[in-house]
Amino acid sequence: MNLDKMYFIVIDDSKLDCFIAEKVIQNTGRSESVRSFAGASEALEYMKALPPDRKTVILVDIQMPLMNGFEFLDAFKNNIPVEKQSNFIINLLSSSINESDQNRAKAYPFVNQFLNKPLSKGALENMISAIA
Amino acid sequence: MEKQEKIKVLYIDDEPHNLVGLKATFRMDYNILTANSADEGRALLEKHPDIKVILCDQRMPGKTGVQFFEEITHIFPHPVRMLLTGYTDIESVVNAINRGHVYRYITKPWTEADIRSAIEEGYKYYVTSTMLALRNEELQKAYDELDKFAYSITHDMRGPIVSSLGAIEIVQNSNDLNEVKEVAGMMEKSLQSMDALIQNMHEYYTIKRGELTIVDIRFDELINDFKEVFSVTAKMGNIDFEINLQQEGVFRSDELTLKIIVTNLLSNAFKYQRSNAVSKFVKLDVKATPESATVIVRDNGIGIEEAYVNDIFSMFFRATSQNTGSGFGLYNVKDALRKLNGHIQVHSKPGEGTEFRVEIPGK
Repeated sequence: MNLDKMYFIVIDDSKLDCFIAEKVIQNTGRSESVRSFAGASEALEYMKALPPDRKTVILVDIQMPLMNGFEFLDAFKNNIPVEKQSNFIINLLSSSINESDQNRAKAYPFVNQFLNKPLSKGALENMISAIA
Repeated sequence: MEKQEKIKVLYIDDEPHNLVGLKATFRMDYNILTANSADEGRALLEKHPDIKVILCDQRMPGKTGVQFFEEITHIFPHPVRMLLTGYTDIESVVNAINRGHVYRYITKPWTEADIRSAIEEGYKYYVTSTMLALRNEELQKAYDELDKFAYSITHDMRGPIVSSLGAIEIVQNSNDLNEVKEVAGMMEKSLQSMDALIQNMHEYYTIKRGELTIVDIRFDELINDFKEVFSVTAKMGNIDFEINLQQEGVFRSDELTLKIIVTNLLSNAFKYQRSNAVSKFVKLDVKATPESATVIVRDNGIGIEEAYVNDIFSMFFRATSQNTGSGFGLYNVKDALRKLNGHIQVHSKPGEGTEFRVEIPGK
């Protein structure tokens, strides 16, 4: 099992949710760094500039102003070079209990998991051990 | 029954004396338009969208009555169709019902009672079916909004609750008092935004379902209320709140709806300030006469990106990830203005500020 530390990006317009995600990520002891973004387009710019060999775990909210989670997924698909896309392990993190959101997420093959808020240490650890 | 406007009836027959005869018999009771052919009838339908009942002869040169009805069912679906014929062949009856969607089949020679009862019954059918169509449209709109609501409730209202639950778990495992306080502060903001959303929902309902209560508006008293409500926010945010009022004569309107409009605009002006700006301000200008009231709310806050200006009045739209808007306030403002026959204009420059200008006619 690969126990290297990982890089994390949290994208959520709620400051509190970013804070919670950061804390939970740090508490797993598996994070090299956590960056939070209130807006998805800022996060995308940051992702474009990352070194080509770095694996990053993304946690992105669905319901956000300006660019929502699904728009982020589309922008990711269209704007991040294909060879770099596999560097990102993208997870949706939402309080949505809407089946349509969950079904819509399934239409994106590169989405790793649909995580529910509030993010728990257990759920995050399961996700990490599945991808490590 | 009280006589209202006469029911408008279109009668199509190729024999002129039939047209004259029917028109003469019923001219006191109905507004009868006559046409010599199917084409002439169609032209009249285009000119008179308020035709309620169509009587049409079956045997006409060119087009038969059934063919005519078949042709117009989709273009003019509302008028009630009735076929007149001297030939009681079963095939034309079947065709009339299946293809022409006729409501009644009247045999010639007709009696006055036949026609009268057909028109009266047909008109009743027209009224109920058009009412039904109208109600269906309203219902569809209500359902669409309900969908949006359901989504919003599961997300926007559940959001702060799950966030707080997540925060509580962190606090329970933390020994750092500063961190606990920081989390409590964020929880407070999150719950305040949920409270604001619930208040917006209440306003939404008030605007949608409430009746207007027109009273004399005392802007000086209203303004004192606004001062009181926003003074704490102004002080905390170091924002100068300047108010100008010019009222001449009596302006009449619905006070609650007016209050919803101004409160939402002010609340936005205070909310979307630039945190690092010096000399932040919110200005409220009110000019009222018996004819109209002009309310201007101005701020030097973050402004609105041009690309989003047209969307800001849409339900649940948010033009910024700064701060915790519900995406409901300006929707309610627009809805409230519709109720008061008012208008709103927006001028905004990102990074410089926003001005909302509201015009409301007096009642």
